[in-house]
Amino acid sequence: MSREARIGETVLSVEKVSLSFGGVKALQDVSFDVREHEVRAIIGPNGAGKSSMLNVINGVYHPQQGTIRLRANGAWKEFSDMDSHEAAALGIARTFQNIALFKGMTVLDNIMTGRNLKMRASFLEQAIWIGRARREELKHRRAVEEIIDFMEIQHIRKTPVGRLPYGLQKRVELARALAAEPRLLLLDEPMAGMNMEEKQDMCRFVLDVNDQYGTTIVLIEHDMGVVMDISDRVVVLDYGRKIGDGTPEEIRGNQAVIDAYLGVAH
Amino acid sequence: MNVSFFFEVLIGGLLAGVMYSLVALGFVLIYKASGVFNFAQGAMVFLAALTFVSLLERGVNFWLALGVTLAVMVVLGMAIERVVLRPLVNQPPITLFMATIGLTFVLEGLSQAVWGSQPHGLELGIADVPMQWLADSTGMFISQFDLIASGVAAVLVAALALFFQYTRVGRALRAVADDHQAALAVGIPLKNIWAIVWAVAGFVALVAGMLWGARNGVQYALTFIALKALPVLILGGFESILGAIVGGLIIGASEKLAEVYLGPMVGGGIESWFAYVIALLFLLVRPQGLFGEKIIDRV
Amino acid sequence: MKAGIGSLDTFPKLLLHHARARGALPAIREKDLGIWQTWTWHEFADEVRALACGLAERGLKRGEHMALVGDNRPRIYAAMCAAQCLGAIPVPLYQDAAAAEMAFPIQNAEIAHALAEDQEQVDKLLEILPKCPTLEHIYYDDPRGLRYYAQPGLEAYDALLELGRAAWRRDPAFLEAEIEKGRGEDAAAMFFTSGTTGTPKGVVLTHHALIDRARAAAEMEGLSDRDVVLAYLPPAWIGQNIFSYAQPFVTGYCICCPESAETVMTDMREIGPTYYFAPPRVLEALLTQVSIRMEDAGAVKRWLYRKFMGVARRVGGMLLDGKRVSALDRLLYWLGDLLVYGPLRNVLGMSRVRVAYTAGEAIGPDLFKFYRSLGINLKQLYGSTETSVFVCVQPNGQVKPDTVGPAVPGVELKFTPERELLIRSPGLFKEYYKNPQATLEAKDQEGWFHTGDAGYFDPDGHLKIIDRVKDVGQLADGTLFAPKYLENKLKFFPYIQEAVAFGQGRDRVCAFINIDAEAVGNWAEKRNMPYSGYVDLASRDEVYELVRECVEQVNADLAQEPEIANSQIHRFLILHKVLDADDEELTRTRKVRRGFVAQKYATLVDALYAGKQSVHVEAQVKYEDGRTGTISADLRIHDAKTFRADAAKRAA
Repeated sequence: MSREARIGETVLSVEKVSLSFGGVKALQDVSFDVREHEVRAIIGPNGAGKSSMLNVINGVYHPQQGTIRLRANGAWKEFSDMDSHEAAALGIARTFQNIALFKGMTVLDNIMTGRNLKMRASFLEQAIWIGRARREELKHRRAVEEIIDFMEIQHIRKTPVGRLPYGLQKRVELARALAAEPRLLLLDEPMAGMNMEEKQDMCRFVLDVNDQYGTTIVLIEHDMGVVMDISDRVVVLDYGRKIGDGTPEEIRGNQAVIDAYLGVAH
Repeated sequence: MNVSFFFEVLIGGLLAGVMYSLVALGFVLIYKASGVFNFAQGAMVFLAALTFVSLLERGVNFWLALGVTLAVMVVLGMAIERVVLRPLVNQPPITLFMATIGLTFVLEGLSQAVWGSQPHGLELGIADVPMQWLADSTGMFISQFDLIASGVAAVLVAALALFFQYTRVGRALRAVADDHQAALAVGIPLKNIWAIVWAVAGFVALVAGMLWGARNGVQYALTFIALKALPVLILGGFESILGAIVGGLIIGASEKLAEVYLGPMVGGGIESWFAYVIALLFLLVRPQGLFGEKIIDRV
Repeated sequence: MKAGIGSLDTFPKLLLHHARARGALPAIREKDLGIWQTWTWHEFADEVRALACGLAERGLKRGEHMALVGDNRPRIYAAMCAAQCLGAIPVPLYQDAAAAEMAFPIQNAEIAHALAEDQEQVDKLLEILPKCPTLEHIYYDDPRGLRYYAQPGLEAYDALLELGRAAWRRDPAFLEAEIEKGRGEDAAAMFFTSGTTGTPKGVVLTHHALIDRARAAAEMEGLSDRDVVLAYLPPAWIGQNIFSYAQPFVTGYCICCPESAETVMTDMREIGPTYYFAPPRVLEALLTQVSIRMEDAGAVKRWLYRKFMGVARRVGGMLLDGKRVSALDRLLYWLGDLLVYGPLRNVLGMSRVRVAYTAGEAIGPDLFKFYRSLGINLKQLYGSTETSVFVCVQPNGQVKPDTVGPAVPGVELKFTPERELLIRSPGLFKEYYKNPQATLEAKDQEGWFHTGDAGYFDPDGHLKIIDRVKDVGQLADGTLFAPKYLENKLKFFPYIQEAVAFGQGRDRVCAFINIDAEAVGNWAEKRNMPYSGYVDLASRDEVYELVRECVEQVNADLAQEPEIANSQIHRFLILHKVLDADDEELTRTRKVRRGFVAQKYATLVDALYAGKQSVHVEAQVKYEDGRTGTISADLRIHDAKTFRADAAKRAA
């Protein structure tokens, strides 16, 4: 079966979303959809509103207009007033542009926190570490080990995250997001600040995640080159407006996109 | 110098130190999870001890009284989170600190309003007498109460450490302490975690209150033991459970030894202030505490 | 037990023997998902059987070759044995080789079947597929990333295993018979030597050769099924094959495969191997790590480390050799063991090591002694792919930093008049695959293998390798002159970065020295000696004195070796510039181009031999930006004290 054949129906639909801070309009009337199992990129020059878009999907910002709908467990959920904790509970996991890991904790513990929502044992059971809590801990440890293996970070399992170089921290953050077994994975500039080799590694991991777990991925990136190779469809934002939407080939030929990228000095 | 007397003083000091650790622990828990220096910890100790002893005096069964007090402390912890902390989210630490000072007065007033202000004696059934067999065999007079109290404190500390290290909630607590924003993004409910921390701090306050209350009587002065925890925290660092323990031991042992061996030179009474001198000296050398996270100023 | 072993003349037969004799004992472990997974001999044999049947179904036949490309994984070793069950010959390839490098072995051995560990290796094989038309079947262990590969002939290991299980259930007798057909003199495996010049050569080793050598060394060291080995070097290297395939198959010990190349240190700590091999570069890297950590440690720790390492250097090696040591030193060493050596061994993962080997290149005496002084029984061995490794091994209690020990039982050694070492041993290779010319050159009619190494026996009968025979010359009086050996001895001193020894056809040996600017610079700083750079340092009297001590130390060592005592260094000078590959004085792999240097600095060489006290030089140098410039300096020439060989012998 080819990759394209796996791509399914729409799972996330963003409809006419507008967001402004005071008088600054971060997003204006943006609509797009994300299909199951696809890698969907949102690109645009700096300040185009990419991060705002991601934060809206993630529940950090609440748009003044428009709706966002997510298909979860077969039913459409519309949300306008959701916080990030609730977004996580709905199966949305994310990484951050400036890495938000728990620096003082080990890689293993960091990834385990990613499974927080999957653990059910009560506070009291955990307090005395019996029965369910213990079984649960072991079960989740196994799931986490599989992710560690997948992300090839066995050698740093017990290392406090703060001591790791930047590229590895990015990988750990992706691992933690994966641990939640998300239905939608949001990646905020996963290749920012990386050299070419690290970027290629990251691309491979993103594609592998998509292959192996079938995770739907939305990633934002300002560097056009990297994402074109790994995305199924691309949304282009500029000054908070959508100026292009389509396959990478279509985007490459889109005059508005070319102008937007030429307009800013790179 | 009489060796067995030296050891008697040292051990007595260490055991007292464990009790300091217990109080300091309450501070550390809350500081770790929410970055708040909870000035009201002393008041919580007082409230716990007073509630417990008052229930006992009204003829309530020991275990029932314990359970009820525990429930009160847990509810109190959750209520503090809801009423005091949540509205102040994202405020600078000094604001939160001021809020806990306010909380101190509220708790003190509340407990005395409910239970009255007269001092109570608390009898836990453990005699505060030297252990005869130990005195016979080694010539050291070590209080049985001290020993049992330290045992209880040690078990509590060990249990907390394991809880923090190996459970989901423990991990979530550490995660929240590390980075609020990231914790939210992985779906850790900050509010619940704070409530749990305050409840646990309440539980620690109860244990500390019972032990200190049994030794010194349950009275308003109990709130001042919070002040004794301060040098312990300076020594051990605000974020470290291990630091609270070691800090407590060092303070306990050194103030007793100072009282006995240095006291006569300056006319006694060292014990009440020596701990602060140590803490001050320590601040000059290692401001982050023995086990605190190294303070690195990034420019 | 020994009587029965005679009939166990192939690896598959040994495997079945272990499955019967110690089926429940661990054969191989692998850390996977953070947990050590164990395969018993019984389970391992089952896997091999099924795999062999699967390979037979896919058409692998007796006498054919099968390529194995991957890191140390139980499945790579299972496939190795499975191929041998069918009488096929496994050809392990270096997993870090570039795709192009894999083409030659596959073409040469007309390989049709290959097992690749993962996507990375599969990609390489697919890349060379157009050049390797014989390659029909590529099996892969880890399916990750291979989901959408549609290449015909590409098959998952698991699928192959299933196929084999079914075939085995249908006809279990087939495999039994195939295994029975195997003979000790059949080829067991083929290893391609890198071949520094020309094309690689496939070294064919028989079951008999590998088993014989594996057993000889195992008996010598008393290895048993309770030993544990960490398999961390490439399976395509003969040494790794001996330690993690041939020897466990002979003795029944357990090998452990690390989780990944990066986790080796941690895995080693967890496993605590009892039998260990490391080339000098690995030992060097470990020591560097320890040193760095000690630099960062607190003052107390550093002091303890310095103090007790001093004690260890003094008596550690002697204790290991069972020599007499005073009671006070014993006590100190015991204390040191408690505080320093024990914890250090633990950090290195060597707490349980009984036997450790190093080989492959000359090991610095200080490095060697460091490990021995910690109580780690590190020894040297000598051997190569063509000899199934074990030619010489240092026996316990007779360990020297500069020899490789006496011959292992079964090995005959002799020298040609040119000092080339010849070996006759049951472990010798059968042939170079499809290369009768090379085979004939290496192995003569009487069965002697010409190593190309020059050496001699020291007074205790230990073999000492000094250089490649083509690089060894003679002084005017006919004594042996091994320049590289002398240069290496000099370079083991931290202050000497490079050395060039002259003496071919001359009456005595003289040398150029390049000091190590950093090490000597540090040395100078500690003495509050200001200096402006290399040229300044190199001309200082103090530095000359420092180097002279090093040279004389080397001379004193040489005096103890009658064969080469005459090649002591009589005079030396410190070169005014660092020898550099950009100036063609070194090769790109940083080997001295002796002839070129001798020619370029002919005036200096002449001055050395003419007995002058100094010489004026002007030299062209190329700067990094491409400009050229000249350095001119007056170089001084110093004499070094030499020692009488016979005097040293008396003292020894």
